[in-house]
Amino acid sequence: MAYVATRGGERAIEQSERLFREAMGGFDKARVTEIKQSLPYLIDRVMGEASLYDEDLAAIALAQTGGELYEAVLLLRAWRTTQPRLQVAAPVEQEQLFTHRRISAAFKDIPGGQVLGPTLDYAHRILATEVLQGADYKPAPVDPAEAPSPAYQPSVSTWQAENDLLDLPDPDGTEGNDIPDLTREPLLFPSKRAHTLQSLARAETGGVLALGYAAMRGYGQAHPTVNELRLAEAEIEVTHPDGRSFSAGRVKVSQAEVVDKKGEKLGIGYAATFGWNEVKCIAAATLDLNSPGADKGAPTEEEFFLYHTEGVESSGFCIHFKLPHYVTFQSSLDAMRDAKAKKAAANIAKEPAE
Amino acid sequence: MKLADLTKPWEALSYGFLDASAKREMRRKMLKSIAVPGCQMPYASREVPMARGWGTGGLQVSLTLVNPRTRVKVIDQGADDSVNAASIRRFIARVAGTPTTMDTLEAGLIQSRHRVPEEILRDDQVLVLQVPNPEPLRSVQPNMSIARQMHADADYGRMWLQLYEQIVRSGRVMQGASYPSLVHGRHVMTPSPIPRWDVPKQHMARHLTILSAGREKRIFAVPPFTRVEPLVFSDVPYKVEDHGDLTCTRSGTRGYFMNEIPQNDGTSAYEVSDSEWGVKTIRAAEDGGETRGETWYKDGKMS
Repeated sequence: MAYVATRGGERAIEQSERLFREAMGGFDKARVTEIKQSLPYLIDRVMGEASLYDEDLAAIALAQTGGELYEAVLLLRAWRTTQPRLQVAAPVEQEQLFTHRRISAAFKDIPGGQVLGPTLDYAHRILATEVLQGADYKPAPVDPAEAPSPAYQPSVSTWQAENDLLDLPDPDGTEGNDIPDLTREPLLFPSKRAHTLQSLARAETGGVLALGYAAMRGYGQAHPTVNELRLAEAEIEVTHPDGRSFSAGRVKVSQAEVVDKKGEKLGIGYAATFGWNEVKCIAAATLDLNSPGADKGAPTEEEFFLYHTEGVESSGFCIHFKLPHYVTFQSSLDAMRDAKAKKAAANIAKEPAE
Repeated sequence: MKLADLTKPWEALSYGFLDASAKREMRRKMLKSIAVPGCQMPYASREVPMARGWGTGGLQVSLTLVNPRTRVKVIDQGADDSVNAASIRRFIARVAGTPTTMDTLEAGLIQSRHRVPEEILRDDQVLVLQVPNPEPLRSVQPNMSIARQMHADADYGRMWLQLYEQIVRSGRVMQGASYPSLVHGRHVMTPSPIPRWDVPKQHMARHLTILSAGREKRIFAVPPFTRVEPLVFSDVPYKVEDHGDLTCTRSGTRGYFMNEIPQNDGTSAYEVSDSEWGVKTIRAAEDGGETRGETWYKDGKMS
């Protein structure tokens, strides 16, 4: 049975997975906690791309995959999709966000004030190599402000709308289970507004940045001004079966509004995601700003950027090229050889008779 | 009455991994795709514990169709022992408790990447083909939204033009696998990247074929006894790969689709692509027991 002897597939894949996991070894709850505490921004990024808000599960996914981000996100998405939808939380208005950081580049000061909050924007990026010499890395403690900034602020775009600088989009009264859910229905174009925003919220950060950056550099028509950027916590308000509404907890969210002049008014682009991820929100809002009227096939057109920033799909397809393709390759070879033979035969026929 | 009486005990995983709402959507979309042969139906396409592009579309169909008595066969590029086929087979068996087989004749459901088995399938068998790109118009229209409109209008002019240009430039249609085919005289579909050798097996076949693209979220079907006609000009006949005269160096079988194996001396050897057909041929030669079924091709020709 010469053929059967070659059948080592099952054993090979088993061992290759073991080899991968051996590098990280086993892990316990302590490692999950450590990852959660030390890498909150990575946790945020993974939760956003997985569209699943659970810091513990995100930390497990990172521990289990050794930080292979695409694998971690897929792990969470595959878990998420099997979970029942118990409730749809109440919509969150900007004024209700418990705001940690909120800045506007459009005005020097804004109603509610500029709140710098936590950021590395003005840090000198010097690597703490002293840690390798045995020194502890001890950041200086924060001095509390004399008067704390207000936790809740109005949105800048509301002020602009009141001053006839922009037209706010018509309110969407869709509620509860009627809100289109990208994870339960396919994305079709022209895309439903909910699908566009959901798709950007779970998009892969690097992908959104690449296409958003292309738009910023000039492959889009609109230049983004950061109207308002927020890092905040949102209350998850759900309704108990007996009718009472209550908070099931808070989730970290980030959102960005970018604007550009569009005739006599401002055009506005918006994006929000789970976790604190400023780059993603600004880039995604820039794509949203550029998308109305963009040509089919342009990087700023919704079909183009929504398909190509989907991290689980794009990374999966990219790595699938490692799978054997010898049948399809053989089929192409056959066509090529036959075409070549036909050409050669035609050339011989063309030679003049002696 | 207690709350516990009204519900089932908690389980970490649903039977067959997918939850009931996902399976319901799959069933509905499968029925729709059978009702309109060759027409791509969009579906939500849930994430499964495998990477996109690795058979997640086929897997969702298989997980929805199987029950604990369905005997499952999984093929990748013709081989049952290919690593990804082994992985998918193991997964289905693990979450759905299905018996597995490598024998085409024994299988109730066959999930395959890019091959149709050489033995003729029966009307009680389902073939699930994994599809990387469900859109035959992709090469002439990369925007799916526009391509969808073109299908609705049966606007296949650009498709024909592309084939014509290939004949003018290269003397033949250069399409290798995924040969665009007209289904039931209405929708052009990609038969998935099966070789041209396998496309005629779909025509008026007794079995149901479901084609599912997980990443691209499209499902389509070829119901039993449905016309599947490769797009060809009347004066340039359809041509399958020139494998009819090749002999498998391992099993000695002849007249089936082969894998070309480059040799050190610059020549090529050939191995039959349908690995189980090769195994059966070797067995028949060794102990004389005949387990091979009827094949679509006889003497290297489609019969």
